[in-house]
Amino acid sequence: MSAIEGIILATTLPLLWLFAKAPTAWDRLVAYNSAANRVTAALAIASVVLNRAVLLDVAILYAALSFIGVVALARFMERGGGFR
Amino acid sequence: MIGAALVASGALLVVVGTFGIMRFRDVYSRLQASGVSDNAGLALVLLGLVVYEGWAPMDWTLLFLLLLMLVTNPIATHSIAKSAFVQRHTGEDPT
Repeated sequence: MSAIEGIILATTLPLLWLFAKAPTAWDRLVAYNSAANRVTAALAIASVVLNRAVLLDVAILYAALSFIGVVALARFMERGGGFR
Repeated sequence: MIGAALVASGALLVVVGTFGIMRFRDVYSRLQASGVSDNAGLALVLLGLVVYEGWAPMDWTLLFLLLLMLVTNPIATHSIAKSAFVQRHTGEDPT
């Protein structure tokens, strides 16, 4: 089970590369959203493997905050702000 | 056993979706590939975790996290796509 968590965390590395090197701002936003979801799933797997229920609360908070950040950035770029 | 199989298939979908995000050349295509990995893959992973540990009080928190991700992921995807579409973004010129 922890090997699967390692696989999911390893798939965030090309997304971080895309987050640095993507041509447009929307590509970077897609990469950030996807990487944040992977981190949330990895936190859930870690909470089951380590049998710590606290990590699930951390995962819920991480998912909610990343969602708010992504939607705020998308609305900000929809009105014409930010980097192109 | 069933839970481990569900989590493994979810991880397979996550890997496939990552290849899709890296290979596609457009924002909308990348959003579709991220839908494969984020909605289907991570929902399978969380369902597999609920089945894997048997009945435990942790299950309700896992189900709440699953519901939260199933509600918020399409909203974030739609928000990014609408943001790119309103700005007349075609994905061809990086400017």
